[in-house]
Amino acid sequence: MPFSRPLMWNVPHLSEWLLYGLTPLVVIAFVAGVVWRARKWALGVAEPASPSAIERLKQLIQPRVLVDFIKNAFFQWRLVPDSFSSWMHLTIFWGMVLLFLGTAIATVDQDFLNLPFDWQLLQGNIYRLFELVLDLAGVALLVGLALAAYRRYVVKPERLGPNRRAVTRWDNFPFLGILAAIAISGFLVEGLRLAEGFRLEAQLRQVAAAEGSGSGLVAERKEILHRWGYEENLRHLGTERQEAELERVSQRAVVFPAAPWAPVGYGLGKIFAAIPEGVIRTLHQLLWWAHALLAFGFIVAVPFTKAFHLISSPISILYRNTGPVGRLPVVSESGAQTIRQLTWRQLLQADACTWCGKCQEVCPGYNCGYALSPKVLVQSVDYVLLRTPWKGNGQAGNLHEVISPDELWACCTCRACEEICPVCVEHPRLVIDMRRSLIDQGKVEEGVQDALMNFQRYGNSFGQSPRKRSTWVKTLDFPIKDALKEPVEYLWFTGDYAAYDQRVVEVTKKLAQVLHHLAVDFGLLMDKEQNAGNDVRRIGEEGLFDMLRQKNLEQLGKAHFAAVFTTDPHTYNALKNEYEISDGEGNGSGTGPLAGKPVLHYTELLDRWLQEGKLVPSEKLQGVATYHDPCYLGRYNGIYEAPRRVIEALGLKLVEMPRNRRNSFCCGAGGGRVWMKDIPGIERRPAELRVHEALALPGVQRLVVACPKDLVMFQDAVKTIGAEDRLQVVDIAELVWQAVGSPVTA
Amino acid sequence: MNIIVVLRQVPDLIEQLELDADGKSLDWGAASYIINESDDHALEQALLLKEAGGGTVTVVGLDFGNIEGSLHTAAAKGADRLIRLAWGEDAPPRLSHAAALYAAAIKPQNPDLVLVGVQAHDEWEGVLAPWLAATLGLPYVGVIRGVWRTETPGKVRVHKEFPGAVMAEFTMKLPAVLGILGAEKPPRYVPVSRIRAAAKSAQIVDQNVGVQPPAVGAQIEQLYFPAKGEGATMLTGSAEEVAARIAELLAERGLLR
Repeated sequence: MPFSRPLMWNVPHLSEWLLYGLTPLVVIAFVAGVVWRARKWALGVAEPASPSAIERLKQLIQPRVLVDFIKNAFFQWRLVPDSFSSWMHLTIFWGMVLLFLGTAIATVDQDFLNLPFDWQLLQGNIYRLFELVLDLAGVALLVGLALAAYRRYVVKPERLGPNRRAVTRWDNFPFLGILAAIAISGFLVEGLRLAEGFRLEAQLRQVAAAEGSGSGLVAERKEILHRWGYEENLRHLGTERQEAELERVSQRAVVFPAAPWAPVGYGLGKIFAAIPEGVIRTLHQLLWWAHALLAFGFIVAVPFTKAFHLISSPISILYRNTGPVGRLPVVSESGAQTIRQLTWRQLLQADACTWCGKCQEVCPGYNCGYALSPKVLVQSVDYVLLRTPWKGNGQAGNLHEVISPDELWACCTCRACEEICPVCVEHPRLVIDMRRSLIDQGKVEEGVQDALMNFQRYGNSFGQSPRKRSTWVKTLDFPIKDALKEPVEYLWFTGDYAAYDQRVVEVTKKLAQVLHHLAVDFGLLMDKEQNAGNDVRRIGEEGLFDMLRQKNLEQLGKAHFAAVFTTDPHTYNALKNEYEISDGEGNGSGTGPLAGKPVLHYTELLDRWLQEGKLVPSEKLQGVATYHDPCYLGRYNGIYEAPRRVIEALGLKLVEMPRNRRNSFCCGAGGGRVWMKDIPGIERRPAELRVHEALALPGVQRLVVACPKDLVMFQDAVKTIGAEDRLQVVDIAELVWQAVGSPVTA
Repeated sequence: MNIIVVLRQVPDLIEQLELDADGKSLDWGAASYIINESDDHALEQALLLKEAGGGTVTVVGLDFGNIEGSLHTAAAKGADRLIRLAWGEDAPPRLSHAAALYAAAIKPQNPDLVLVGVQAHDEWEGVLAPWLAATLGLPYVGVIRGVWRTETPGKVRVHKEFPGAVMAEFTMKLPAVLGILGAEKPPRYVPVSRIRAAAKSAQIVDQNVGVQPPAVGAQIEQLYFPAKGEGATMLTGSAEEVAARIAELLAERGLLR
């Protein structure tokens, strides 16, 4: 009969009973706490245009969804690019998970196998493996905690600073400390238990040394074991197994055969074996209780502290936005003034936040000293959520009492926060929902108000006559087709900046010349085009966005074209993701005039034509360039490589800025910020930080952009910095125009 | 407090104005229209007064340009009643006629306060506000930059701006007509969804006050765009050179010390 895992070794009956009495209380407290928090998610309204909670659960049977969920929830895949965080979290997470599973298996082993059947799973080699895995898990946990503590208390990154606004009542709950105490007390309990075993073994061996070998030996050893009350430790075993175990120990003089498989406990046991016998036993019992109470305390604390993320974050990851990120959901045009006007998913996300502050670290607003931190914003929503009674009137839970308009207007909606968030929080959506509520109450930032009035009156932000939208066309020495009058292959939806901003108009004209040179069949909506409304929507003026969309769809419906392209990533996002649906949201798609027609960014077309050989550079450009990913092209629509291929195909050497692709740093113009007044006292603007980033690259002479707003923002920033002689801000269209021999200027 | 606001439509100056073939008037049909800016301030001031202590705001506009849109916007902002006065002509009425039309609509309302924009950029015969006050036989103060309620009912406190940025405070007995230059706060933004809702629900009362045009004196002989003069000097060169030259010019004229 093989040895098995010892049960309640050196634990008095009273302690055992107390432990069993405490366990259900702990479970009840934990479950009640979790229910208390999860019930609050139901304060939110239904999630539009997304599968319901049940439907999404059912999707888990699809291997793709399941693998995705496991990767992100259990292996924190979204942390992988940050290897320090990744290793830190994986070791803590898996350490804890294995130790918890180990405890659960041990419980089953004792209470559900041994008690009714007098049989243990944890015996022999299985038990040896169990000991090894749990010891290593404990080590992993401690290593992870050490990494976390090193970063939090030694490196002290700003993002992990104390909460600006308290969220729970126990924000300073010593999460790392308690986990470390649990792990360390666990090792100490193990070490002390093994130490006691080693002492006993030593005594048993002394008998052998005194008497030599012989049949009297076993009886002598049994006598020693009896004197030590050893039978007490075997009380949970059936009579037959008790005798077998006594026999085994007295014959071989080995109390814990699996001890060497628990290397940490084994080492500690050897050290502790020097402690006097009675002290070992008392210490063991004390630490056994300390370990149990720490673990119980932690379990009870989970729902009431940051540790709740170990419940809420995986759920948030499961219920993350699976639709196109460029399509903004609309619950109500008047947005969210209170908690009850957010959706349950948004509330869940607020609860899922781990306060890691990665969002804050990448936020252009935060980096420039604006009032906004996406971390604080999400925490503020959670703050209000936790204080909103489950029952009560609709007035409770006013978000604007906690979140200021300045915070909301500071957001560029660049999505850097959402992209990096390990638990899939949608920060910009929260911002926009609350902006909608501000707009609804007429509380509008001054510059935004002017822009919105201009959009209402003229369909553009420049406050210019709609008739002047196509003025630039008349300055060319070749005609451009009016797509409302004759069919075209490509409809060019220019966007406001390309048509009204004098600097961008020069780029627009060059692209037109390139298209003419390539004999592309293209046309415009001329004066009938209005702003596509992407940023109007992100400002929170949903009604105005809807009006602009209707006007544009009406004109698009009258035009004949095979595909539409635009030079403006913001326009691109709206046309591609938000125009297909002609009325309302979430009612399926494919009924509008864009249904079934490709919506392209001009860099995609240039890339395609270069690959097809339709566009052939007549001269190779020289020099080193870096490329800035526009937020609405990259993070919103995943177009990262086409512009890069074009730049390289033209002969330029492309050098990446440290923040590129998914991690690109916004120019500061998005989400309506381009129209807002400068915030007083702000010394650094996002565009300037970005230009400094480009300037730090050795040998780079050109900052290449693919967005009209970037051109304007970065040209201004280069002038502000005084780096005009070192860095040229240039649109890809201008590079192509140069490379094809600067055709027909007018 | 029963407050009446006059809203006027004026040609939007972002568009190039065009002259009629006879060279004596604007081509009103070619213009696009916008709410008169100081009338917008008058409406805002009326709404602020209402919010501060109750009352009703009635908006009166002539059926001209895009008055319907302006009335709906006013309703969305919080105006209680909308009156549209019949007007069938392509051009707006002459000043005396306009004053008579508005007065005929306003008088039966027994207003406590009539707020009118202090000026409109299509006024060439003088300004409407005092003329309207005279027609209604009510006292008038113009160039107002804020109106507040007083402790005693039947009076308001107003700030009037004088040249040289001198501000004066008056207490006025009601009823009265005020020419508003600016409300105490800039006109509020009203979201399009609210305007759309107002367009569906708000009731516009159409009135035909049937006032005959009074005999008028002056007639326009010729309307024309100013000819380009010789007085301007264009500064050329780099930004630094231009900036230096501007600084020099300002110093020469004693504007820089």
